[in-house]
Amino acid sequence: MAEFEPQIVAFCCNWCTYAAADLAGTSRVHYPPNVRIVRVMCSSMVNPLYVLKAFEGGADGVLVAGCHHSDCHYIDGPVKCDATVDKLRKVLHVLGLEDERLRRELVAASEGVVFARIIKEMVEQLKKIGPSPFKVKTEALA
Amino acid sequence: MEEIRIGVYICHCGFNIAGVVNVEEVAKYAATLPSVVISREYRYMCSDPGQDLIKNDIKKLGLNRVVVASCSPRMHEPTFRKAVADGGLNPYLYEHANIREHCSWVHDDKELATKKAKDLVRAAVKRVYRHEPLVVKEAPLNPNVLVVGGGIAGMQAALDIANGQNKVYLVERDPSIGGHMIQLDRTFPTLDCSECILTPKMSDVGHHPFIELFTYSEVEEVSGSIGNFKIKVRKKARHIDESKCIGCNVCEEKCPWKTDSEFEMGLAKRKAVYIPFAQAIPHLAVVDPNLCAYIKSDGKKCGACIKVCEAQAITPETLLKQTDQIVEFDVGTIIVATGYDQFDPSVIPQYGYGKYDNVLTGLHFERMTCAAGPTGGKILLKDGREPERIALVHCVGSRDQNYHEYCSRVCCMYALKYAHLAKELSKADVYQFYIDMRCFGEGYEEFYKRCSEEGVNFIRGKVAKITDEALSDEEKGKLVVISEDTLLGKLVRVPVDMVILCSALEARSDAENVARIFNLNRRADGFFLERHVKLDPVATPTDGIFIAGCCEGPRDIPDTVAQAEATAAKALSLISKGTITTEAAVSTVDESICHGCGRCEEICAFHAPKVASKNGTLVSSINETLCKGCGACAVVCPTGAISIKHFTQDEILAEVAALTEVS
Amino acid sequence: MEVLSPYKEATDVILEAGGEPLKLCYQCGLCTGICPWNLVRSFLVRRIMHEAQLGAVDFGSEDVWTCVTCRACVQRCPRGVEIIDVMRAIRRAVAGLGIGVVPDALRISAKNIAGVGNPLGEAPEKRNDWAKDLGVKKFASGTKILYFPCCVPSYDPDVKAVSRSTATIFNKLGIDYGLIGTEAKCCGEAIRKAGHEDTFQSLAQNNINLFTSNGVKTVVVSSPHCYHTFKNEYPELGGKFEVVHITQYLASLIDEGKLKLSKKINKKVIYSDPCYLGRHNEIYDEPRKILQSIPGVELIEFPDARENGLCCGGGGGRIWMDTPKGERFSDIRVEQAVGKGADIIAIACPYCFLNYRDSVLSMGKAETMQVKDIAELVAEAIG
Repeated sequence: MAEFEPQIVAFCCNWCTYAAADLAGTSRVHYPPNVRIVRVMCSSMVNPLYVLKAFEGGADGVLVAGCHHSDCHYIDGPVKCDATVDKLRKVLHVLGLEDERLRRELVAASEGVVFARIIKEMVEQLKKIGPSPFKVKTEALA
Repeated sequence: MEEIRIGVYICHCGFNIAGVVNVEEVAKYAATLPSVVISREYRYMCSDPGQDLIKNDIKKLGLNRVVVASCSPRMHEPTFRKAVADGGLNPYLYEHANIREHCSWVHDDKELATKKAKDLVRAAVKRVYRHEPLVVKEAPLNPNVLVVGGGIAGMQAALDIANGQNKVYLVERDPSIGGHMIQLDRTFPTLDCSECILTPKMSDVGHHPFIELFTYSEVEEVSGSIGNFKIKVRKKARHIDESKCIGCNVCEEKCPWKTDSEFEMGLAKRKAVYIPFAQAIPHLAVVDPNLCAYIKSDGKKCGACIKVCEAQAITPETLLKQTDQIVEFDVGTIIVATGYDQFDPSVIPQYGYGKYDNVLTGLHFERMTCAAGPTGGKILLKDGREPERIALVHCVGSRDQNYHEYCSRVCCMYALKYAHLAKELSKADVYQFYIDMRCFGEGYEEFYKRCSEEGVNFIRGKVAKITDEALSDEEKGKLVVISEDTLLGKLVRVPVDMVILCSALEARSDAENVARIFNLNRRADGFFLERHVKLDPVATPTDGIFIAGCCEGPRDIPDTVAQAEATAAKALSLISKGTITTEAAVSTVDESICHGCGRCEEICAFHAPKVASKNGTLVSSINETLCKGCGACAVVCPTGAISIKHFTQDEILAEVAALTEVS
Repeated sequence: MEVLSPYKEATDVILEAGGEPLKLCYQCGLCTGICPWNLVRSFLVRRIMHEAQLGAVDFGSEDVWTCVTCRACVQRCPRGVEIIDVMRAIRRAVAGLGIGVVPDALRISAKNIAGVGNPLGEAPEKRNDWAKDLGVKKFASGTKILYFPCCVPSYDPDVKAVSRSTATIFNKLGIDYGLIGTEAKCCGEAIRKAGHEDTFQSLAQNNINLFTSNGVKTVVVSSPHCYHTFKNEYPELGGKFEVVHITQYLASLIDEGKLKLSKKINKKVIYSDPCYLGRHNEIYDEPRKILQSIPGVELIEFPDARENGLCCGGGGGRIWMDTPKGERFSDIRVEQAVGKGADIIAIACPYCFLNYRDSVLSMGKAETMQVKDIAELVAEAIG
């Protein structure tokens, strides 16, 4: 059996983390191809529904990443995003999803290497905890 | 409803994408997706023929949606939006898939990268299907400019902008403007006195009606975006009353507490209350709270300065009670010109810097040759004698992968200048140890020739060691410089009295923090990264923020000034236009669902939503010039009445669903 | 006038033999300035790099065999050129292709190593004779540690003191260790640096097979040269086991409180960093830690210690070649040690042992200056 390759959806703010991912590209810092990035203007734009949708679709992990608190293009987006993520965690807990599956990170535009490291870490960690229970169910039904 | 007709274009970007992603396969796959009418791959989509493909297809095939999969949208989304608009469509009926920075450049497994590219294209197709036409609006740009750093770069940029009668806030960390340049004695290759050419500029800056100068201050926080940045500056306490100080210097004369003068590189002392140097702008005293006995003893000791200050600028109040102030203002553009640090050669123990008294750095020598400097322009050893021989060591910390791999660009020339000055100001013989002479600027090679004529001894070799261990009588009491003379093919030992280490220029030790505050990128060597090394050398990835001078990498004064003027031109062109295009992707309220609860009003940082009574019911409405489109209101809206144009819930859910779909 | 035309074929030979790093050299000459040879005679490292770049190397010159591979130049090279690799490549070209002259002394050692598996030309079956009366067991599957002393301490009558002291310490502490069979051969580190790649490959394969078939997990070595090749070169050839230098091992026993040194040695001891322990593998602290744990020992340092330590002159195959009096680095070191008032030069490498022993004798200092391996000092101090 092939090794389990986790699927990750990353919501990245346009100004910092998306730019960091671009910088990882321009500096050719490699990371595993398990991640798909959704560009949002601000991490505070991330609706809990989007994250739930990703898990429903079979994502094994979700990353919500944006600017550091002092760097926000929209003044205080990260604070709002933190609040959303906190609420979301409770929901995920009820749904029986492990805490590690949702990761919240602050990655500045200059931190391409950090972005790559986070993806590497997530992939490793998700490999350890295995496929999302939602994914297993969906596959079992199919 | 009209039929959705999507065109998909996969860019090879030469081999940048096609070398890893199988673009033909991706294009074939895209053709199978619903509503895709045409799917093509092309070598360079951003080229004119590439854009023409899109324009022609819109006309011939009646496309009404376009997806390009290429580099980052931060690079070419505007290009393709324009192409779409030129083709006759609303530019927002376009979606961009990033298969270069986020795919081919970061993955090497071709199969998985191709799969990822397909996923990204599929998501873009699903998303573009739901795009609506949007209208771009203009908003005013705040014409005020923040310049950070009061060295030659910052001053030049500030003057250019202020001379156009635009307000400039110039923030300098040190108590005076002037930067490294005011520490220099003479400038190569013309040997202009640095002070003579710089102090008039400093004075212009200090008195300019359009420049508001904040010295001894640091920018703490920047928020907002091009056109409307909000700035917070910490004005450190000088512990004097700035409005009363007349710069008479009597306080410094009477102050009994001494430490090494930063400006004089430790070759002279300064006091606990001091004016950093004679031509300091502003010409105000500043109190060093870590040295002042009055402050340290909470008013119990000393107080000499209080007694002698006739202007009453120094009082117990200013010394004990004055605190840092936070000043806030708004600007439309920012120029960062924070300069460089000199490499500390003590990390190369073989050179004996810090161990031998007469092993010095370039900045020490600058102060020594300066007529107004601590030695009155005399080149003197620590014991007061004149040196008979001086060695100049190039590439200290530069061109060396153990320290900095880059060439510091100015050292060859300043070393030649030192050789010349040593000849002019002393009887010393000069031995110059170089690897390659890099004299590329205007008049530089000619200056090299002039120094050769003056009888400087050039030894081609990287110095291995500087020691005081003598092997002969001739070497006794001397510093012996050991190197291979690579042209002779012999190891040479040159006994000298003084060694000047031509130390590298390196990124400021706090460059990381500055990068964070201004959202700049840094290169691996620590300097700030320009948007494009050749074609956009003073812009940064953040719109409205520009960089000039040595914060971007080592450069000489002419290059620094040219760059500063370039940033000024950038800022002035924005100011001259006067507006910025505001975000079209802003919030919108579906009044039929809105309950007027006001959650949107509470969460918005820009005061864009307003709840008001309309036809007798409370509903929210959005001020579109204030709205930045961050989307926070839509997340908290309990009824789902608010959505963000171009980032609607429907669109993002479709994108997420498409990404998690198994292809 | 002599005219040089670049000879690409010669450059290619060097590049193919592993000289690739030479392309990076930008001829600053720092290597020459650092190279210890220039303390005693001219040796232009930089020029050899440039000659190699242009294919103008004089393969018949003795300069080909001069480098002691001490790594002082590599450590500070601004372009990170692996100069030792280039020197080795040039030697490979000479030894492998016969396009120059291999010095006689080296040829004999090489022949011995290839023939009987040790540079001294001693009988292979006598490899473990040094331990005859010490009751050391033969390594068997399950034995915790393999002790591999290096050829010199196995055969040389003086240097046997190193292996015998080590066995004595291990016996006293009740350590579960053994010796591998006499099929073992020289580790091959130095003969590889001397350009004899085929010989090295066959030695390494022999030892790897022997270790693997015996189930060796951990090897404790006395020689930094064995340490270097076991740790950094054997893994590429399939030999994967933990390698521990005796100084690391003893230092860890001290840390764990298992090794207690109670007997006083009231001497001034100066420690000479072996290049292959220090610069090549960055082990500087453990040997010093052991010496400082010996009661009575006053540890002093050479003027150039640690990263800047002067080579004894025995690396890169030089241990088998004759170095004329006046050009021996170990002579300089002995003089420095005398100048510092040392009673004992402590070493941690069999090659250093040989060179310092010879220097002390030839300089007539045997009465006042002792040369001792750290293992010998520990064996004395253990009481």
